[in-house]
Amino acid sequence: MKKLLPLAVLCALAGCSSLGVQPWERDVLARPEMSLDADPLDAAIDDHIYFSKEASSGGRGFGGGGCGCN
Amino acid sequence: MSSNSLQSKLAAATCALLGTAATQPASASDADAWSFDSSVLYYGESDDRVQDISAAVAAKRDFGDERSLSLSLTADTLTGASASGAIALDRVQTFTSPSGKATYSTPARDVPLDDTFHDTRFALTAAWTQPLARLYTVSAGLGFSTEYDYRHLGANLSLARDFNKRNTTLSLGLAYSQDDIDPVGGAPVPLSQMLDVGDGSNKLGSDSKTVLDLLVGFTQVLGRNTVLRVNYSYSDSSGYLNDPYKILSVVDPATGDTIARVPAAGLAGSSGVYLFESRPDARTKQSVYAEVKHAFGKPVLRGAYRFMTDDWGIDSSTLETSLRWPVGASSYIEPQLRYYTQSAADFYRASLVSSQPLPQYASADFRLGEFDATTLGVKFGHRTGGGNEWSVRAEYYQQNGSVPGEQIIGHQRNREQYPDLSAVIVQFGYKFGL
Amino acid sequence: MTRRIHDWRAHLRGVLLCLFAFGFSLTVHAADSLSLERYRGKVVLVDFWASWCAPCRQSFPWLNELQAKYADRGLVVLGVNVDRARSDAERFLSEVPAQFEILYDPEGELAARYDIPGMPSSFVFGPDGALVAKHIGFRNADRAQREAEITRLLSNAAHD
Repeated sequence: MKKLLPLAVLCALAGCSSLGVQPWERDVLARPEMSLDADPLDAAIDDHIYFSKEASSGGRGFGGGGCGCN
Repeated sequence: MSSNSLQSKLAAATCALLGTAATQPASASDADAWSFDSSVLYYGESDDRVQDISAAVAAKRDFGDERSLSLSLTADTLTGASASGAIALDRVQTFTSPSGKATYSTPARDVPLDDTFHDTRFALTAAWTQPLARLYTVSAGLGFSTEYDYRHLGANLSLARDFNKRNTTLSLGLAYSQDDIDPVGGAPVPLSQMLDVGDGSNKLGSDSKTVLDLLVGFTQVLGRNTVLRVNYSYSDSSGYLNDPYKILSVVDPATGDTIARVPAAGLAGSSGVYLFESRPDARTKQSVYAEVKHAFGKPVLRGAYRFMTDDWGIDSSTLETSLRWPVGASSYIEPQLRYYTQSAADFYRASLVSSQPLPQYASADFRLGEFDATTLGVKFGHRTGGGNEWSVRAEYYQQNGSVPGEQIIGHQRNREQYPDLSAVIVQFGYKFGL
Repeated sequence: MTRRIHDWRAHLRGVLLCLFAFGFSLTVHAADSLSLERYRGKVVLVDFWASWCAPCRQSFPWLNELQAKYADRGLVVLGVNVDRARSDAERFLSEVPAQFEILYDPEGELAARYDIPGMPSSFVFGPDGALVAKHIGFRNADRAQREAEITRLLSNAAHD
């Protein structure tokens, strides 16, 4: 993960399109458990609990990943 | 209502707006127009502190061509109390209740807790999502929550754009909220003293705060089995940021014990010198969040890290990991682990020393102190023949804090310096479609 | 002399059988070519789909409708499946039946050759075999326009 993170950021900055998969190779990414927004209710509940007991909150965001359809 | 609802829930509602109005990715099994996700949760802290039971329902209506409406309703009832910020003593302590109409006591050697409360909160959110053009998605939402001493109203807007055959997504989100606080008995003048029953001379009326949140997100498919998300968040709060029920003990510089106080003749009131806390009226937070999901065949591993820093001097790190492991053809088990650490706010004080000048800002709220917290949990889920899914989740949360050495005075060394917290969370969930 | 003629026929039968088996296996197991020559004179709509693609679930009833409506006017709908596992495709087809020909491209060779830009992707070929249109994704709102494009092509073909 440490090696991938700066690489991914660099890719975004450089606008390179070599990182990723072809549209027909998104079968695994289309699985619900691979969604970054899987279980939004759990995430909201957790965020709510931790916000009321700690000084930090949120940060998760939205969008991207998945089947990439349409 | 105590610390638990005010800042906590309100800001949580605001921040949650940017996170939960999210588009669910289309999955080939979604044939229903309406899909529901419901949950019932029990949260219970040890030592009879806070207990919370909540029920939530989230509904999503798919209008085709990636347009959808998401609605959610949450209701929870909170009972119990959390640490008020006063320090424990070797004698019984009496405090005037927030309403100013009664007193409550803490036994000797116990960490003082706020006056016990009962509160019911309702929260509602709504969000509309649709494509703007083939690679653009826009989402707009509203949020509202109410409880007897707090009301929150918020709006959010976000835009996402895909690049590189939808391998890369950039998103931008904005949320604004306006909260109105009407504390029981009125908001106390910061750093004023807790007075006798019936004396509301240091209590003002209601107040408000506004929060502005900005989120810049980047999602990147790294491979057939891996996806990465990196977010930057900026949050600006201004207005009434105090917790009106939190206090600090004023202590003797030699013994470290709270200065005793005698109520006025014929009146009941606090047994010591306690001051209401004071926080700045502005707070700027920034955070960077990174999350990776990787599928190792059927199991999916998730790892996430968030770093937060703010202008109150708090830095925090959160590390989360979970592994979804399939069990049979239609069930899964998911152990979860979370580690959190934060530094204390600049104005965090375990207690105020009577011989020292009063600082401009001071708070003994344990949520602004230095602590580590660990959550250990496991979730089990099962998909029924009809395509519905029920799940059960159990977690154990443990918070351990510390007070800087120079802030521990005299007899405080022999007592519990930080109100450590442990809680059990049990949640039942059910997802279904219509 | 007779034996040689017999041998020649046996050989030819053998060769034809092999070619048939080979050709048959190409269309049933893997497609590395759309073999559009066999559809010269017809309008061909090639749709790349997968069991994990939700808009594909929406597109099939429409594709079935198109094939039924315009088959005798010269429309051929070809569905190219890119699932890695045939069982996934078959499960999808049992829930959402296809009334048009399905080709299987589990290795993604056809998908790569046509460099499909998204899922699902539709290519419309005219009667002369030339690519007329490329559609990325499936939206209910685009159905009328896409149907009009096909009827226009079919009318032009009829007039030629």
